[in-house]
Amino acid sequence: MSEIFSKVKNEIAAVLDKYPNGRSAVMDVLRIAQEANGGHLTKEALGEIAALLDMRPVEVNAAAAFYTMYRIQKPAGRHHIWVCRNISCSLLGAEHIIAYLERALRIKTGETTADDKFTLSTAECLGSCGTAPMMQIDDDYYENLTESKIDEILAEKGLK
Amino acid sequence: MVTVKINGKEITVADNTLILEAARDAGCEVPTFCYQADLMGLGSCRMCLVEIEGQKKLQPSCITPVLHGMSILTDSSTVTAARAGVLEFLLANHAMDCPVCDKAGECELQDMVYKYGPAKGAHAETKFKFHEKDYVLSPVIIKNSNRCVQCTKCVRVCREVVGVGVLGSVGRGDHQEETSFLKGLLDCDQDGNCIEVCPVGCFMRLPYRYKARQWDLKSADTVCPYCATGCRMVIEERDGVVVRARAQHGVGVNSETLCSRGRFGFDFIGNAERLTTPLVRKDGVLVPSTWEEAVAVIKENLSAFEGSRIGGVASPRLTNEELYLFQKLFREVLGSPNVDSSARWDSSGVEAFIKAAGMNEGGVSVFDCMDSDAVFIIGSQVSEENPVTDYIIRRISSGRRMNLVIASPRAMKLDSSAQTVVRHNPATEGALLKAIILTLNENKLSVSAGINAIKETKLTDCVASSGVSLEVIKRIADGLKNAESISILVGTEFLRFPEGIDGLDLLKDVCRKSLGKKLRILPLLDRCNQRGAWEMGVHPGFGTGYRAIAGRGMGTHAMLEAATRRGLDAMYVAGVDIASMYPDAGHAREALSALKFLVVQDMFLTDTTRLADVVLPSSAFAEKDGAFTNQEGRVQTIARLKNPPGKAKRDGDIIRAIGQSFERSFGPDNASLVFDEIRREAEMYKEVSLVFNNKRNIDNKLDNKEALVKASSALARGFSAWNGGAPSSEETGDYPFTLMTGNHLFHSGALSSNSASLSGLLRAAVVEISNEDADEMGVKSGSLVRVKGMTHESDMKVIVRRGSKKGVAFIAENFADTPVNRFFSRGRSGARVSITRLG
Repeated sequence: MSEIFSKVKNEIAAVLDKYPNGRSAVMDVLRIAQEANGGHLTKEALGEIAALLDMRPVEVNAAAAFYTMYRIQKPAGRHHIWVCRNISCSLLGAEHIIAYLERALRIKTGETTADDKFTLSTAECLGSCGTAPMMQIDDDYYENLTESKIDEILAEKGLK
Repeated sequence: MVTVKINGKEITVADNTLILEAARDAGCEVPTFCYQADLMGLGSCRMCLVEIEGQKKLQPSCITPVLHGMSILTDSSTVTAARAGVLEFLLANHAMDCPVCDKAGECELQDMVYKYGPAKGAHAETKFKFHEKDYVLSPVIIKNSNRCVQCTKCVRVCREVVGVGVLGSVGRGDHQEETSFLKGLLDCDQDGNCIEVCPVGCFMRLPYRYKARQWDLKSADTVCPYCATGCRMVIEERDGVVVRARAQHGVGVNSETLCSRGRFGFDFIGNAERLTTPLVRKDGVLVPSTWEEAVAVIKENLSAFEGSRIGGVASPRLTNEELYLFQKLFREVLGSPNVDSSARWDSSGVEAFIKAAGMNEGGVSVFDCMDSDAVFIIGSQVSEENPVTDYIIRRISSGRRMNLVIASPRAMKLDSSAQTVVRHNPATEGALLKAIILTLNENKLSVSAGINAIKETKLTDCVASSGVSLEVIKRIADGLKNAESISILVGTEFLRFPEGIDGLDLLKDVCRKSLGKKLRILPLLDRCNQRGAWEMGVHPGFGTGYRAIAGRGMGTHAMLEAATRRGLDAMYVAGVDIASMYPDAGHAREALSALKFLVVQDMFLTDTTRLADVVLPSSAFAEKDGAFTNQEGRVQTIARLKNPPGKAKRDGDIIRAIGQSFERSFGPDNASLVFDEIRREAEMYKEVSLVFNNKRNIDNKLDNKEALVKASSALARGFSAWNGGAPSSEETGDYPFTLMTGNHLFHSGALSSNSASLSGLLRAAVVEISNEDADEMGVKSGSLVRVKGMTHESDMKVIVRRGSKKGVAFIAENFADTPVNRFFSRGRSGARVSITRLG
């Protein structure tokens, strides 16, 4: 077992206890592995998860690829920004927010800044329509966004 | 039964019939992409939508069962509009590169768009592309995901039928791609069933790429020349080169499936190394010659010897007609009783095997076997020797409750389908069976003579020698006791180690007579016409149709023994590489060299042909007509697609030419006349139907029982039992491993070694050991090791197999560079070896 896995061994064991079989725990284990690996899943990690849960590697690959929150073989920046672009946010200017972020970070959606600090992605509905437009950075929501609010948030997160 | 109306026509079908199947029964066409009879229903492609009166929404007919009184419309205007809509969406991202697509002309998407599709699409968006260039998934599979219709048949066939599950649906929505783990090279069975089920040009054969257009191909309906499962397939040629083999849905026992050997192994036919002209030895060197000269030399030399001092070995890959002529030539023209059909196993073991397996009782359908309460597979590495039989067993056993038991020293893919998996010591099938019988006999079954015979045998001895725990043996015995019907599938290990056969024979008697079970025995054989070879009488102990013969002749083993003692003068070998396949390379070579005259007919220059005085170039299955009898006893015809290369001749014509040089009237003259004579000579073949039901049968009736050979009444007596007994215990000290041999998934015998595609999958011999041994030795798959036996040593790579018996090593038998038969001595396909890590 690789270094990353031994670090979160107890966490994985606790998760496995909650499920009837290894297979059903795949999403939790993927999440733990991704966090432990600093935000993305490697080929080795997917292979190890498959062996651990008695699944075929391609099944783990498929499970991970289905959900946007897992990143496969693509390292993310230190902060991962998800901008909601579903109907409520779009009506209140999500496209504008995305364009502003792209300009501010000097990257395109899906890319990571040169200093590896930020990754910009879009997300389908994040379930916060009442406070649209909104985005999620790592585990936190940032709501009722405006350009000046974004400037503040990015400065706080360390954008130079 | 349920009565429904389809397009106004009333039809009564069984409960739970799918609307799709009912509609097709009623003769109504319903197009589908994702539906396949043998696979789990999905209902994802929406092509099969039908209208049910009273329901507002259209329903997918491939997953909706009929209900009594339903009125279904399959071609209402709503349905047609929906189909056109589905196709329009499928084309929204489709690559539309038909002009360069291998599938063009036989593409289901093309056909359906032509038939049901919209003339124009309304989509103006840029097409989504998975990738720019096609990518290679394996040495035989190339992929273009931009053509995918996401029916996921490839994923399902891989998981449900082949049982490897290396393909998955990665991504979601229109970005969902059916591919391998991170698009890496597939570590799989390389059987290409994903290619076969693919309705579009997404999965493609790499060797066939850009070779031909479907409409330029000439095809022949034939039978696979590898194992004895007897898969029906179509081979296709362009400009005299066979470029493709494929299976057809609903045709043959295999339906749409084939294994890697069947689908990609045909290319030995076009191998440039094929022999194209007769060779005659002059001044110690083989030189090109003419047929007239070669036949004259053969006549002159063979005439000089007494019949009983001539021996013949014919390949179990020849057709029934050729094999019949071969034994007729020996018995009636040359006056020799010495004929055999294998270099690998002893003829008296074969005789005992035929008796124990009840092969003279007629054909046994694999589907009937799978209908039993208990299925017991022993002596066969079925997943590798008979891959399509493995698919059939997996598919049927997953669909119904049955007790599947697999006994083999080596782990195999099919283990995951079994209720009980037994790992016994190599060559101890007999001990295992006797242990089961003694356990069954605990409650004193009505004592039959057979049980008396092993009364003295101690259960503990059997348990110890088989290396299986008593608990497992009890579980198997209980399983057999609790089943009303039992099928035993017996493999070629019984032929390699015939001492196990009496156990099988006894278990048959116990099950049938003492326990009153309905018992079927199906032999699992590894050469396409092995059963045919025996039934044509290419055996020293019996004649055509297992008929008793006057004097016993010598089998291969005895012929080689006789040759070394100068008791045999000449041999005529048709298509068998004795020097490479006989278990004792040195002995075989010495014996063949000791002959005064050796004729070998083969497609390739083999170790045996190099020793010959006359070499006759022969033909591949694609170059002749005739029939094969598969392991079940199903007689199926092969058809000629092309002519043999150069001056090579069909095996039947060669045998006939030699026969006619002795007797002008030797014949009959063509395959169908020979078969008529076989019908007259062999009662079993009298009523066999050769009619090929080659329609695409949508009701999936794969079990054409008309083709099975019938029981033979005259011959049940007269078989001699195996009396060789087990060899005395071998030395184990310095040689901790037992070396076994057999077929590899990608290779079996001389054909596969000459196939470029199969050699591309595995080029050289590897030694397979269990994970326990590998861990102890500190080796991994791919490590280099030295395999050392008492007579031979060789360096090769190791393959680790999880779950195999500790102390068992396996090397496939067909690699010319590392001939496993050098490890063996005097006809016994087992040896003790040591394995040491190098580097």
